[in-house]
Amino acid sequence: MQSEHRLEPRWLKPLLLGITLLFLAIFLALPLGVVFSEALAKGWKVYWESISEPDAIAAIKLTLLVVLITVPLNTVFGVATAWLIAKFEFRGKGFLITLIDLPFAVSPVIAGLIFVLLFGSQGWFGAWLSEHDIRIVFATPGIILATLFITSPFVAREIIPLMQEQGKDEEESALTLGASGWQTFWKVTIPNIKWGLLYGVILSNARAMGEFGAVAVVSGHIRGLTTTMPLHVEILYGEYLFTAAFAVASLLTLLALVTLVLKSFIEWRIGKKRSLAH
Amino acid sequence: MSIQISNINKRFDNFTALDNINLTIPDGELVALLGPSGSGKTTLLRIIAGLEEADSGTIYFNGEDTTSTHVRDRGVGFVFQHYALFRHMSVFENVAFGLRVRPKETRPSEEEIKERVHKLLKLIQLDWIAGRYPSQLSGGQRQRVALARALAVEPKVLLLDEPFGALDAKVRQELRQWLRNLHDEIHITSVFVTHDQEEALEVSDKIVVMNQGKIEQIGTPEEVYDRPANPFVYGFLGNVNLFHARVEQGSLHLENTELNTPDLGNSKEASLFVRPHEIHISVDNAEGSGIEAKLIGWRLVGPRVRVELETLHEHQRVEAEISKTEWQAIKAHESGVLFVHFSNARIYTNEASWNDYVI
Amino acid sequence: MKWQFRKPSVLPGFGLTLGFSLTYVTLLVLIPLGGLLLYTTKLSWSEFGAVILDPRVLASFKLSFGASLIAAVINLFFGLIVAWTLARYNFFGKKIVDALVDLPFALPTAVAGIALAAIFAQSGWIGRLLDPLGIQIAYSRAGVVVALVFIGLPFVVRTVQPVIEEFEKEFEEAATSLGASWLQTFTKVILPSLMPALLTGFALSFARALGEYGSIIFISSNMPFVSEIVPLIIVTKLSQFDYVGATAVGTVMLFATFVILFLINAIQIYSREKSL
Repeated sequence: MQSEHRLEPRWLKPLLLGITLLFLAIFLALPLGVVFSEALAKGWKVYWESISEPDAIAAIKLTLLVVLITVPLNTVFGVATAWLIAKFEFRGKGFLITLIDLPFAVSPVIAGLIFVLLFGSQGWFGAWLSEHDIRIVFATPGIILATLFITSPFVAREIIPLMQEQGKDEEESALTLGASGWQTFWKVTIPNIKWGLLYGVILSNARAMGEFGAVAVVSGHIRGLTTTMPLHVEILYGEYLFTAAFAVASLLTLLALVTLVLKSFIEWRIGKKRSLAH
Repeated sequence: MSIQISNINKRFDNFTALDNINLTIPDGELVALLGPSGSGKTTLLRIIAGLEEADSGTIYFNGEDTTSTHVRDRGVGFVFQHYALFRHMSVFENVAFGLRVRPKETRPSEEEIKERVHKLLKLIQLDWIAGRYPSQLSGGQRQRVALARALAVEPKVLLLDEPFGALDAKVRQELRQWLRNLHDEIHITSVFVTHDQEEALEVSDKIVVMNQGKIEQIGTPEEVYDRPANPFVYGFLGNVNLFHARVEQGSLHLENTELNTPDLGNSKEASLFVRPHEIHISVDNAEGSGIEAKLIGWRLVGPRVRVELETLHEHQRVEAEISKTEWQAIKAHESGVLFVHFSNARIYTNEASWNDYVI
Repeated sequence: MKWQFRKPSVLPGFGLTLGFSLTYVTLLVLIPLGGLLLYTTKLSWSEFGAVILDPRVLASFKLSFGASLIAAVINLFFGLIVAWTLARYNFFGKKIVDALVDLPFALPTAVAGIALAAIFAQSGWIGRLLDPLGIQIAYSRAGVVVALVFIGLPFVVRTVQPVIEEFEKEFEEAATSLGASWLQTFTKVILPSLMPALLTGFALSFARALGEYGSIIFISSNMPFVSEIVPLIIVTKLSQFDYVGATAVGTVMLFATFVILFLINAIQIYSREKSL
């Protein structure tokens, strides 16, 4: 760092720093600010009413339900898959990794579309489902499925590289010391990956609560029934109830900020751990 | 081109990296900056190159002040510890880099560049791999390409930072000899940094021993090895045994022995430095004045035997390196009292400078 | 050697995790995506063509690809500057700025959409400044680009930043000691080393932009032929129960996604081979 200024022209740092701060201020800081400023534009009372009216409460409840189902399922999936991919060599592993990553790359709208094609009225199972009076699309199960699809890679992606980096020496030595498979998993593997796991869970949670495109396609927008918080924001905004829309949006923004804080905290923890290992 | 370093100081936060360094490197010499890590040797090299700025002091090239000259214009060739070869460029392109970035007025023609690069690649005996990329080279080849790249700009001074540090033992040995020969051929003023005393002793014309930001000694390899200026240099250049003794009324008291040393004065502490190969061991003290000791352990190291002893009076550890024949004679008396003799020792008292004693 | 499904290992759990993972991925990813591709086969080529070549659909493809490309280029340029600043310089509040870069990952897209619309609307914080100059961003094509810049911002920064952090100072010092100016060092030594990361970040940002829906529909006027993006076409067709049309458009999008994924993989394999 001492000699940097001798290699770089002196005007470079102020120039780049200025561009960075201006760019990020416009694209990141202003959107954050406007959410709260609009939400509170008519005072705290209106704000509170906006987030406590029955439809808003219903949207919050549905969102929490979706999170409570999708996050644990995807966590189990992520850990099992990471174990499979990091600890074993087998044919078709590359293909499996591609499949796991796929929901990341697919447009959320397409994620919604595929479930409509499966379970919608004209979908593959549409006729059978309506015969048995089961609703998936335009109902809670569809929302859960779409969210599950969108968020399935998060935990796996975080801990696969972590587990691969750690190798399997520690697990093997635990086995030689007489530990059972489950003991090895809980006492050796989990402590090693806990921060990465938490990281994945937090990202997965944020996305599950905030997913819009995929959920919009399968939800049907039935107020108080199939609207999650982001969809509720959309409905309010479409009805020109801007203050109410921003009030609900501010809750999601707070969630995003908490996510960023936790993420930084975990990175700091992992960073610290890494430097101790040197 | 001679280099003169005058009153150079450099601090990093609370750490003094260089403390008032003065040094003159004559034209055409190959000089080693030798010292442990943190001794300031790399910082000094980087200051000579202009990669680092000194807090105070001046650097002269041929008597000309270059302190404020940018690295770009200083005309030094710098070989980095990890070579810093540009990965996306072939060997040829790496060596040609310095010529190709010149401003149009001074840039040689593409043809001339080609000729000069190939000449250099021949010099480092790597003409046949001009088209390869750094990732396809061995460590020794990378080292030589880095050297050729630095030489391509026809520097007035060649600076090398731990040039052999990243190589394995055998290649290192070969390259040392090769660098020495190369220097004899092109005679460019060269400075290299090393923490390996053997390397410094073998390759350089002159060694600058550094410790804690200061120069401890400057001299030819023979001078610094045979006549170390102080205990640090003695200890840094090879293994050493340290004995604590007392001078009383013209004689030195060490363990059970006494030695006439009229010129050392009176009533003071003294330290004796003895290299392991300067020690020999007897079972009968036939020569007299042997220090009584007992055997603790021994180990075969190639053709020699490394023996560890403990003195009977002061319980000091002694390490000796003796021949196998000598060891055979002692081995029978393994459990008895042995006698330690010095063929050469250096005595250091707190005020006197060094004294050579052959006992 | 005998054909082996897997290398032997003393660790337990292979069967269990393989069974679970495969079932999960098959049910959640493979069958639904397969269903989409299978649905496409219901269409003849002429039907497929009729959907895709419909002028309104074509216009949306033009807008989606064009706006995504412009946004990815903007992100490439500013992403490099942001990554450089965060990797190289110390300044007050750096930790907060660094954490904030991930905001587009964490903020629900719908929230981003209404927030950007509010800022860039005629009466908004920035729209107010641009309006006298005759520049309108919200409810125009420019609005689509603005939303996509927001969405894609972290991709370039987060792929390039670690590469700049790990870039050894020695390379710059070597180039400078050989007489290169700072600009020469940057273009001939630094930039080529960052190229794989820059391309990867660019492609990721482009791919993400192509599929984006939530943030755009709020800041765009969603006018057919003018500011209607492809995902919106899919949603519209679905709401009209035109499954066939939605599927045809969706298949083209999916194909584009696969091509980009393939390119990203190719870049990474290429750069890994080079750097060994």
